[in-house]
Amino acid sequence: MMHELSICQALLIRVAEIAAVNGAAAVERVTIEIGALAGVDPALLTAAFAVMRAGSCAATAALRIESTGVRIECLACGTESPAAPNRLICTQCGGYRTRVVAGEDLRLRDVELRLAGLPELAQLPPVPEPSGLLRRRARASGPGATA
Amino acid sequence: MCNTCGCAMKPADTVTIDVLQGLLAANDRAAAHNREHFDRHRVLVVNLMSSPGAGKTALLEATIVALRERYRIAVIEGDLETDNDAARIRAHGVPALQITTGSACHLDAQLVHAALHELPLAGLDLLFIENVGNLVCPAGFDLGQHRNVTLLSVTEGDDKPAKYPVIFRASDLVVLSKTDLLDVLDDFDPARAATALRALGGGVPMIHTAARRAPALGEWLHWLECELRARRAAPLRAPRVDAMMEA
Repeated sequence: MMHELSICQALLIRVAEIAAVNGAAAVERVTIEIGALAGVDPALLTAAFAVMRAGSCAATAALRIESTGVRIECLACGTESPAAPNRLICTQCGGYRTRVVAGEDLRLRDVELRLAGLPELAQLPPVPEPSGLLRRRARASGPGATA
Repeated sequence: MCNTCGCAMKPADTVTIDVLQGLLAANDRAAAHNREHFDRHRVLVVNLMSSPGAGKTALLEATIVALRERYRIAVIEGDLETDNDAARIRAHGVPALQITTGSACHLDAQLVHAALHELPLAGLDLLFIENVGNLVCPAGFDLGQHRNVTLLSVTEGDDKPAKYPVIFRASDLVVLSKTDLLDVLDDFDPARAATALRALGGGVPMIHTAARRAPALGEWLHWLECELRARRAAPLRAPRVDAMMEA
């Protein structure tokens, strides 16, 4: 098992929590950010998502992956530059004491939910036809009634 | 449009919820909880990673023989199957707990947490977690360890740090293992390995070890003892109450 399956499982659990808290009917789209140094393969994660979403609230959801490149800051000369994942050396001075400022992200950015609308009238319990007396009482106890 | 009365109310709507949260937040919470356990017991925890066959268990066996009179050591072993590695460790008289992951390619913080219920930390000085042999997956999962150590055996390629930058970058120390074989190998240059490691920035140190025929463990044992001293000198953190994780 590749670790993309574990990551996909964690993603789907989090998405289900967000959908439940917001009372969503379904998840339309999930957007995540994967840095080139996160150690996660976007294609493998996409394949895992296509299988593992089945039966969940995200069963028909699309997965959007935004890949972010690596950027480093040189601790010697302060230059910030793009870098390859296995060559994190300052392009300006050649210094190898650098700090990665972008490219390590593995984040859930946002979730697009389809919210359940209010229940349609046909699904509400039928309103009983009030008698004359009940109608007056109902009016007296209804909203805005005066004693 | 509503089907019942024709009003303009939409039966459903979409909304985008901003999250901006790490995908491994649940694992990271469990790892932080493990770390609190370790800190409360003042035990140094070292996560050992490497490709299969780089000599993690052999290094642990030699380390136990060298240090068991002075430090109380325990080991958590991670493998897909078998109790073999834990049995090797137990044969040296220290407690070892085997986690078999089935088909999972790495340990995670929850697996380690479950193991801690069966491995008393009281009185321990040093706990090794031997991760599943794999240079890819273990790198992304914090277990609550204090230090990551990655082994690179000289029977592998000296360009491994360039091929697997994520795991070597995540290391606090890289151990070049089986260096007693360098004499009979003509394709591994320790200097090239050091250059590939240095190209990952951060200045991760690399030391040499040999664990079997002619043990050479000086630098490794020195590093461990420095870390043990630093751990003992670290201020004891007050335990944080976290009802969710105590469950």
